Amino acid sequence: MAEGSSWRPPRPCEAYRAEWNLCRSARHFLHNYYVHGERPACEQWRRDLDSCREWEERRSAEAQRSLCESERARVQTARKHALVWTLRQNPPADWHLPLPQEEKDE
Amino acid sequence: MAGASDERRPGPAAGESLQQQHVSCQVFPERLAQGKPQQGFLSSFFSNNQKCQLMLLKTLQTNPYVKLLLDAMKHSGCAVNRERHFSCEDCNGNVSGGFDASMSQIVLCQNNIRNQAHMNRVVTHELIHAFDHCRAHVDWFTNVRHLACSEVRAANLSGDCSLTNEIFRLHFGLKQHHQTCVRDRAIHSILAVRNISKEVAQKAVDEVFESCFNDHEPFGRIPHNKTYARYAHRDFQNRDRYYSNI
Repeated sequence: MAEGSSWRPPRPCEAYRAEWNLCRSARHFLHNYYVHGERPACEQWRRDLDSCREWEERRSAEAQRSLCESERARVQTARKHALVWTLRQNPPADWHLPLPQEEKDE
Repeated sequence: MAGASDERRPGPAAGESLQQQHVSCQVFPERLAQGKPQQGFLSSFFSNNQKCQLMLLKTLQTNPYVKLLLDAMKHSGCAVNRERHFSCEDCNGNVSGGFDASMSQIVLCQNNIRNQAHMNRVVTHELIHAFDHCRAHVDWFTNVRHLACSEVRAANLSGDCSLTNEIFRLHFGLKQHHQTCVRDRAIHSILAVRNISKEVAQKAVDEVFESCFNDHEPFGRIPHNKTYARYAHRDFQNRDRYYSNI
């Protein structure tokens, strides 16, 4: 976590509000049920929105800690499954090469 | 690499064994070793091709799923050039498109892509394969698990398995039906390009499903519609701020 006066919330507060509203929408309920078979959990977006506002108004250290913890938990959840393949260090060497017939035409 | 059911999109794959090549060449007859598409009746070929090119241009310029994928690929070192990396061709059967890893090219079946919405979805699907090819060592030709993983991801994230699309296919189901759809379409896509049994394809999908269904890169979420895709794009553009402040 970036410490000190240079820190700011990972997302703008409007983004937390937008996510919270999207999460609570009827449409999202339907989507979540269709994918996961259960209702969505939206409370954490509300807590993050509150923390974000609190930090903006009062630069609360507790709000900063809470936001960081919440976002790290999201990242951990996204990364918890081992990948099937190995990630590349560099893109494929032939991605930008001309097509074989273009080479012949030249 | 490939879609499933009514929109099978096998990946043409030069360099495969003769058997696998035979499967792909049957579906993508224009993807011969010489590379140049065959010219049919000029007027009908031209109108399908022109329509394909116009719809592709509109997709690349306006669709939020595709714009995010293009940005992500550029960030990974695989900037996409429309003329180099896309090809509108006639295909056999009900195929809508494919990703040719050997030529780094996305094939769009101009005779089978019905309308703009369909084009949007096909391009999204194939760009997910291209994105996987760009960011990972995907062994398209000899590792069925790798192929299965990319097909699970493409079915999951492209909108292939949206509730609306499934209803149009007369596949009715609600609770967790999305996952059933993703599994089924991934299996069909694998069978379209691999000369293997359904059981082997199913086993590969089962083995990789947990990991690949939950790998939402570059979206960070399952984009159920354009709103989700726009939010995902916003998050992608914000990633520097995000990772430097957690």
